Amino acid sequence: MNTKKQTFKRLFSIIGKYKAMLALTILLAMVFVVISLYIPVLIGDAVDTIVSADNVKFDALVPILVKIAIIVLLGGISQWIMSIINNYITYNTVRDIRKLCFDKLMKLPIKYIDSNAHGGIVSRIITDVDTFADGLLMGVTQVFTGIATIIGTLIFMALMNPVITVAVIVLTPVSLFAAKFISGRTYKLFKNQSEKRAEQTALTEEMITNQKTVKAFNYEDKAIVEFDNINNSLGKISLKAIFYSSLTNPVTRFVNSMVYMVVALIGAIFVLKGSLTVGMLVSFLSYANQYTKPFNEISGVITELQNAIACLERVFSLIYEDEYSEDGKASFNDHSGTVEFKNVHFSYSPDKPLIEDFSLKVKAGETIAIVGPTGCGKTTLINILMRFYDVKSGEIIINGKNIKDVTREELRSNFGMVLQETWLKSGTVLENLTLGVKNATEEQVIEAAKMTRAHSFIKRLPNGYNTILGESGGSLSEGQKQLLCITRVMVMNPPMLILDEATSSIDTRTELKISKAFDLLMKGKTSFVVAHRLSTIKDADRILVMKDGNVIEIGNHNDLISKKGFYYNLYKSQFEV
Amino acid sequence: MKKVLIYLKKYIKETIFAPLLKMSEALLELFVPIIIANIVDIGIGSGTDYIVKQCLILFALGLFGLLFSVSAQYMSARAAVGMATDLKSDLFRHIQKFSYAEHEKIGASTLITRMTSDINQVQSGVNLTLRLFLRSPFIVFGSMIMAFTLDVKSALVFVVTIPLLSVVVFTVMAVTIPKYRNVQEKLDSLMLTTRENLSGVRVIRAFCKEKDETEIFNDKNIVLNIAQRAVARISSLTNPMTFVIVNISAVVLIWVGAIRVDNGDISQGTVIALYNYMAQILVELIKLANLIVSITKSIASAGRISKVFDVEDSVLDSLDAKDYFDLNSEIAVEFKNVSFRYPDSTENSLENISFAVKNGETIGIIGGTGSGKTTLVNLISRFYDITDGELNIFEKPINSVTEKFLRDNIAIVPQKAELFKGTIRDNIKMGKINATEEELSVALKLSQAEEFVMKKDEGLDCKVEQYGKNLSGGQKQRIAIARALIKKAPVIILDDSASALDLATDAKLRKAIKELPDNPTVFIVSQRVSAVMNSDKILVLDDGELVGIGTHEELQNTSDIYKEICSSQFGGEER
Repeated sequence: MNTKKQTFKRLFSIIGKYKAMLALTILLAMVFVVISLYIPVLIGDAVDTIVSADNVKFDALVPILVKIAIIVLLGGISQWIMSIINNYITYNTVRDIRKLCFDKLMKLPIKYIDSNAHGGIVSRIITDVDTFADGLLMGVTQVFTGIATIIGTLIFMALMNPVITVAVIVLTPVSLFAAKFISGRTYKLFKNQSEKRAEQTALTEEMITNQKTVKAFNYEDKAIVEFDNINNSLGKISLKAIFYSSLTNPVTRFVNSMVYMVVALIGAIFVLKGSLTVGMLVSFLSYANQYTKPFNEISGVITELQNAIACLERVFSLIYEDEYSEDGKASFNDHSGTVEFKNVHFSYSPDKPLIEDFSLKVKAGETIAIVGPTGCGKTTLINILMRFYDVKSGEIIINGKNIKDVTREELRSNFGMVLQETWLKSGTVLENLTLGVKNATEEQVIEAAKMTRAHSFIKRLPNGYNTILGESGGSLSEGQKQLLCITRVMVMNPPMLILDEATSSIDTRTELKISKAFDLLMKGKTSFVVAHRLSTIKDADRILVMKDGNVIEIGNHNDLISKKGFYYNLYKSQFEV
Repeated sequence: MKKVLIYLKKYIKETIFAPLLKMSEALLELFVPIIIANIVDIGIGSGTDYIVKQCLILFALGLFGLLFSVSAQYMSARAAVGMATDLKSDLFRHIQKFSYAEHEKIGASTLITRMTSDINQVQSGVNLTLRLFLRSPFIVFGSMIMAFTLDVKSALVFVVTIPLLSVVVFTVMAVTIPKYRNVQEKLDSLMLTTRENLSGVRVIRAFCKEKDETEIFNDKNIVLNIAQRAVARISSLTNPMTFVIVNISAVVLIWVGAIRVDNGDISQGTVIALYNYMAQILVELIKLANLIVSITKSIASAGRISKVFDVEDSVLDSLDAKDYFDLNSEIAVEFKNVSFRYPDSTENSLENISFAVKNGETIGIIGGTGSGKTTLVNLISRFYDITDGELNIFEKPINSVTEKFLRDNIAIVPQKAELFKGTIRDNIKMGKINATEEELSVALKLSQAEEFVMKKDEGLDCKVEQYGKNLSGGQKQRIAIARALIKKAPVIILDDSASALDLATDAKLRKAIKELPDNPTVFIVSQRVSAVMNSDKILVLDDGELVGIGTHEELQNTSDIYKEICSSQFGGEER
């Protein structure tokens, strides 16, 4: 309950600025409700003027009809303005919430993004926000007009004839009960259905994404059997769920027609007795028709509202997620590139210690290579160096300053980074290559691309440097993407470098060819190089051999070979069969 | 559309009866205003008995209406769910037949959305259509006809009103539907930006691009907002306009009715009945408008589904394909002037490749990224059909055996280890369904997976999540290797499958494969010289051409490219 309260409070902080509009739309809704309720009364009055042949009071009828026409127009206009305002509020709220989400996204710790499924985050920002907007804002207006209609109808009816009103009040709950009874039953069915459906989607996804393996192992037939099993049971559940839920409509309609009948019966008897006019009976019948409708609508809207609130809670849990730790304020005074790790401790989860008491001094311009088996903490060092993650204790000092004291932007703009996972944004090749330096000239870019051997394939792309790459690099091969990532850093020419398996997807022959470019790039720069291909790091000033988060050997290639330790074995195994 | 609609054939009875029952219900509703008119005109003159009788008729109408509509709901649910279930099953079968070429052309994510949300959309569309499509027009036109039976002159008001309403409803729809598509595109683009920012978070932050990305997102967000509001402005006209038209028509109707009553042509009750018919039209029109939106969406979905059905499998068994190989043939695999071009591509990916592999040989395939190594081995498994030349497996043309039989005889470890939800055991058994415990343990040993599997508490029964998310790259790869080796196929293809293994494990693996008892023919695709140097023959590929073939020693004298590859990896040291 408390979280719900909080959710509403948060929601209000967002839609608060549309307060005036909200008030206006509620006012217009009231106007529309009153008008739509007043029309039957006027129609009844009109009918009363039309008694029989030669007994039609035209002089009374004409003003009534004119009145109806005028308020109908007013009703139409107020309904129209109302929906325009509603749309305005809805879509702007959606826009505002999405903006908040994205702003937050830019400030989330990488840990959050690493540990949450990206699809889940995307669906919060896209789908959940939409569902919320449709459900909540539309739902609220429907509930509101619904309640207003019910109350208004009761008042109008009571003014005309209290007895019939009581009969209607007694009868309508029947339809509510019926609807509630049915929706209670169907809730579980729908839950089952969505579980089965999720199961089916998961299987479909897996079998389609892994199609290559499915084909290679002739697994198609078994996949089909598995699929059909789930499909058939889903079919059975869906049939039940859809059928039972679709009962609401006929059943409530039946109850409505019973109400209608009772009103007709009692009303006609009153007319007979002379205490009700025929016109009033007509009004009553209209009311009986529309009185039960809001009840049905409200019961339908309530489930939608619950869903909307659930979505909103998910969205808010993203928006109110903790941001990364506070930024430092300083910037570097010198850009020489000294790096020092001082008693650094770090782990991703508290129960699994990884890096413990790590200390290392790196001189400006040194090349540090990091090797070791998977999971040894190579990439982790880079994560804490770039401050993607904060260290648990200890300090990292760069250019004489603790990295916590400088702004992240300052820290990161001093590093050029090439990662194993090549990431390119959808856009042109040129846009991707100038990611680091916006105002780089095309000549600079081409020069860099020539050095990295990327120029020759970029040239062959349909539009050269202006070729638009699709999502995640489109049709480029892994190796080509990696070349672009290297070029990107080449254009930027930062004071320090991080190369995490930067050439893992490039064949060794090309790698050899671009090694000169790398030498040039790394010259005089402090560089951290992670690689499992040992030939690429032989020339490093120092090689850290890591295992289980600890540095077990350190030294240059020749030292480590002559030591005949872990590195020696690793290096030797490269040439063994 | 047709391809999807034929799935209703099996449910022809339901498809016909559901709307008919709905129509019957509607018909009953059309009698209600007449009864009310009778009560007013006759009942009030003749007394309570008549009124009670008429009310009992109202009750009966309601009760039968309930019966009709409940059975209609059941039938339409049956037809809709049934056809969707069959459709899904067939679409899944169809997709399973696709070769790599079709798969790459359409893309996995598209196939998945068509299998799931598109079919769901069709299901609810069919369900709604069966329930409402006949009912609503029936009520609209039925009301008009009933009005005619009551009084022709007054009914002329209906003749004006209904077309007017239709024009409003359909114009609004015609204008908004393309705009909705525009909104969808804008939304997709916004989604792309969001997704990109998640997958590229490290790069974006490393390059301090947060502000730029936020700007891009905000721009797209605003563009979407403008598009949405533009559509909404138009679609929000529907309700007020129908409200005004119907009520103004009612005013006219009463005016005309008043004149007719004054002339003695019709009674007061008839005017009431006419008014009630007009009111019914309003309610139904609103339902119909919602229905049509849903139907248009379903039609679009059905179109997308049909498109998948239209895609034909490009790799087909020839009619006389057999399930037989002479496994004692001297030559296991032979390429004769083979060229291959990917569909939609203008350049050949493999050009005029010729070589022969003796039964039991180990073949290394080396070359740079994009040189065609994977393409070449994919042709051996017939994941694609060759464009030109001849490809023989065990001295028979590759298309003379069935696809299934061919693949039963080839064990592949693909570049990317694809695992399935289940247990490690389930995954390995994909290679051989009835594998014994002993076979499983041999396969684990061979693939160097034994150590880590045994370390797990549940051993072989350790759960594997979707796509093997809970395992490391190296673990996944070793399971994929075990899965292939347990097949004991005469041809084994390792497509750069040791890339996630450390060098020592990789070496052990190659040794184990070399010592396999049945002496299979093995293809090892790699970028590492060390992985292929001990093969009986090494194929050197460069830009889709076979530029060298021979042993490690031979190639060092004959192939410059091979020499370059070697020196790039051994740093010039001669080993």
